[in-house]
Amino acid sequence: MELEQTPVVDVTEMKQLHEFHSALPEQADRTEIPSGGPVIVSDGFCLYYGPKAGVRDITMDIYPRAVTAIIGPSGCGKSTFLRSINRMNDLIPHTRATGRLAVNGQDVYDKRVNLVNLRQQVGMVFQRPNPFPKSIYDNIAYGPRLQGIRKRSRLDEIVEKCLHDAALWEEAKDELKKSALALSGGQQQRLCIARALATGPKVLLMDEPCSALDPVATGRIEELIRKLKTDYTIVIVTHNMQQAARVSDQTAFFCLGDLIEYGMTRDVFTNPQNKQTEDYITGRFG
Amino acid sequence: MRTRLRQFGDRTFTTVSGLSVLLLTGALVVILGPLFWRGAGAVVFHGTVEFRRMQYDMHGRGNKKTLDTESDQANQVRKDAYALLDRFAAGIDTTALQKEARRIYRQFKTQLRNKVENGTITAEQATSLKSIGKRLRNRLLEAYETTDSAQARGNLDAVLKHADDKRLVGSVAERFFELAGDYQQIISTVDLTRREEYIEDLNEVQEIIKELLGPRPGKPLPELSQFQYGATRWNRAQLLLDRLVWNEEWVEQGSGKSLKKVRTERAEQFAGTELTGLFPMMQQNLDPMLRPQRTFYWQYFIDDSTPGHFFGGVGPEIIGTLLLTLLSMVFAVPLGVTAAGYLVECTGDSRFVRAIRTCINTLAGVPSIVFGLFGLAFFVLYLQPKLGLPRGYSILAGAMTLAVLVLPVLIRASEEAIKAVPRSYKEASLALGAGKFRTFITVTLPAAAPGILTGIILSISRAAGETAPILFTAAVALGPIPETLTQPTRTLSYGSYDLAVGDRIAALVPHQQFGMVMTLIAIVLVLNLAAIMIRRRLEAKLRGQ
Repeated sequence: MELEQTPVVDVTEMKQLHEFHSALPEQADRTEIPSGGPVIVSDGFCLYYGPKAGVRDITMDIYPRAVTAIIGPSGCGKSTFLRSINRMNDLIPHTRATGRLAVNGQDVYDKRVNLVNLRQQVGMVFQRPNPFPKSIYDNIAYGPRLQGIRKRSRLDEIVEKCLHDAALWEEAKDELKKSALALSGGQQQRLCIARALATGPKVLLMDEPCSALDPVATGRIEELIRKLKTDYTIVIVTHNMQQAARVSDQTAFFCLGDLIEYGMTRDVFTNPQNKQTEDYITGRFG
Repeated sequence: MRTRLRQFGDRTFTTVSGLSVLLLTGALVVILGPLFWRGAGAVVFHGTVEFRRMQYDMHGRGNKKTLDTESDQANQVRKDAYALLDRFAAGIDTTALQKEARRIYRQFKTQLRNKVENGTITAEQATSLKSIGKRLRNRLLEAYETTDSAQARGNLDAVLKHADDKRLVGSVAERFFELAGDYQQIISTVDLTRREEYIEDLNEVQEIIKELLGPRPGKPLPELSQFQYGATRWNRAQLLLDRLVWNEEWVEQGSGKSLKKVRTERAEQFAGTELTGLFPMMQQNLDPMLRPQRTFYWQYFIDDSTPGHFFGGVGPEIIGTLLLTLLSMVFAVPLGVTAAGYLVECTGDSRFVRAIRTCINTLAGVPSIVFGLFGLAFFVLYLQPKLGLPRGYSILAGAMTLAVLVLPVLIRASEEAIKAVPRSYKEASLALGAGKFRTFITVTLPAAAPGILTGIILSISRAAGETAPILFTAAVALGPIPETLTQPTRTLSYGSYDLAVGDRIAALVPHQQFGMVMTLIAIVLVLNLAAIMIRRRLEAKLRGQ
């Protein structure tokens, strides 16, 4: 709105906007909310680190078989919200949650919740590739083994399937016994995705999965994300707005712990409803 | 100017740090080099025929035939020295001769009594013969006792006058004349007036010769094994030879002044006597007498030793040290790693944990003798009877005491290692649904293993070398090789300590002490090398090679 009132339009701004628009056709053309009920329901969810709030009053529904991107400036609570979904924030002492955050109808912060089940339903991929210092095979088999699968043939099956799904099979099929640390960064990240898939999750959380990777590796991961969304619900935190525009169906913009705007990616990027969102995606702040 | 100053600073830093590394290396070489050199003397040395005889007697090593011919040849050479010594000794120490004269007289009396009973001679004849015998004996004794040559000669002449006496022919009394004749020869070479001084010096010479050549052939063997053989090592033999040839005395330099060591040739003490010939003879013939040969005594590392470590090796000590060290690790490692894991993973940074940490650090600085006393009081005197074990020193108690001693070091090292494991590993595991314990066992521990191994290396070195903690709990200086863990054992560290303080045997067998210390260092190095190799493997695996 303010953009229209500005007499002189910044050239770089125009370029950026153009880039977003040209990126959009690449993504699956989804203009409406996918069918089926939401997988993740957040209703007035707050998470406090001691007295300080990490995220405040988040209310949003995340839908299945779609990619939801969370963007926002550093320290805005994107990762905090993401990590709340599988309760990885428990690692940090003195955290406290209020409101409701449910996955598949099950309140995540319920006292009776089985953390093992929750985390196996909600897989996570981290910012930096973090394969265990074990063989590729053992990395992927780690989750299934936790579930009590010991049979070699069954494990072989899972490993092959997950590597196929993570588009790593062709590169790694002859080196399953090799250490995962011998892989390149991009391969390691795909291995981490394969490892997360091995527990059979419904939801995949990705915390800036490409920030430590080069553009080629990033491209392959994005391709993978697009492929995976046909089977999984994916929530991705990213700093890279082009990436959000490229891979996501829906976008949420966080700022200072608050959810500012949430909607279809196309709408958020082309027609932001909020001034802060607009400033952020056009590069005025953040 | 700025740049130059910075360059100067950089260069100074490089030089100083390089020098300090060099200094450390140098110190290591200076400390360990001589130690290994002297210690190697326990294994590689010139062994004498006495050494080979001892090896054959104790372990059946070597060839009996060659050993016998060698011994015979050596004894052939030694015989001259013995003869010389005996001839001189006879003139100096006449107590044996006096005893002999008295014995002859008693036999003579018995003989006379028998003859009277048989009726060969009458009682009167017997009485007169007895008085002649008595006279002869007394004359001979006087000759033996006097230090005046003329008087001695007169007495001997008086005895020999009776040699023609027909009545004495065929009787025991004839031995008197033999003795008198021998002694006549002896006093022609020995200055009887100096007999008193000779006796002491002669005893010393005889002691040294005994130490050098062992007991004389044909004589009964002494009970103690350390006196059953002469010098088994050539360097020891040469030391003894030096002591034989040179006499060392502390001489007063005048009132108020300190004593001074004076070395004089022992031959001077015996100047003018036949014994002066002994010293050059020993010097020239020591080689054929002892027949040194280059010996590689590798069995040093497996042999048991005779009481007092005079002969033999350090086999039981090595076994004891290894048992104690490894067993203490069996106790300490699980306990230490678990404790470290608990401190890092299960507790925050509370006051309680800080207090525990302070306690651990303090414990690491407690003198080891305190742990020794604790082990005595708790493990030996309290716990062992409680568990139904005999109350006494045992390997078990020693290992547990050592475990308590190394625990602080181990806990600290493990704690640091566990802390250093990247958080991302733990997160990845937790995100896959693993519990805390599972994550610790399958992810954290393997990743921390190299660091923990470093702690184990330090602990092994400490445990193997400590003496004080096992002093009251496990170590003995003498004793059989333990069959169970409830028995005490000998160890290298305690052994070298005992050699130095017990009977000060270290002065007589320095190679034993050096050998023990060398073996101890070698064991520590070998254990460390093994641990380092394992750590390398683990690190390579963690790096993905």
